[in-house]
Amino acid sequence: MPRVLGIEIPGKKRLEYALRYIYGIGPARGRAIVAKAGIDPATKADDLTGEQITQLAAILQQDYRIEGDLRREVSQNIRRLMSVASYRGMRHRRGLPVRGQRTKTNARTRKGPRRTVGAVRGKAARAAAKTGA
Amino acid sequence: MARSIKKGPYVEDKLLRRVERMNQTGERRQIRTSSRRSMILPEFVGHTFLVHNGKAFIAVFVTENMVGHRLGEFSPTRAFRRHGAATDKTVSLK
Repeated sequence: MPRVLGIEIPGKKRLEYALRYIYGIGPARGRAIVAKAGIDPATKADDLTGEQITQLAAILQQDYRIEGDLRREVSQNIRRLMSVASYRGMRHRRGLPVRGQRTKTNARTRKGPRRTVGAVRGKAARAAAKTGA
Repeated sequence: MARSIKKGPYVEDKLLRRVERMNQTGERRQIRTSSRRSMILPEFVGHTFLVHNGKAFIAVFVTENMVGHRLGEFSPTRAFRRHGAATDKTVSLK
């Protein structure tokens, strides 16, 4: 398996699809990169020449933010939202959906496995729950 | 869909005038507003707005990081008060 930029090891697929194994490269960018490099999109990633690989690496580094850098940017953006105490930041903090989805049902991706929240009964129990929380 | 760039950011006229007047005189006073939909412009940085949330005015001190957001994003409209206790009323319904 060829390596592009040290870590990415795309498989035995057409180049335009193999590139999508890189974080930050989807269908559109995969196609754009192949076109820019002037390589036939049907070439298997295994059949690339060393020269072509360096060329791809250069394009990826110059024109795109990928992998670690992209992940860092995303988490920084989220951190900014949280630090300014915006509504979206609060939703991130609480692990609830950020874009206005319903939470009465569904939203399990954000909320994780179901946790039943019981009613707090009686005065004594309520006081205990208050101090506990 | 995002707002057309041609139109520029939306800010309530009255609010923008007040901020500009205060910037000219160097005056710093809290600005009470209900215009939650107004975009925060760079000129707003350092001012404190009292943004209505439907019930009360919440103080929002604008920092550089908030530019481009809307005032309402910083004045929450819902308050979560833990899940309910079983009161006489809810129990008798069963």
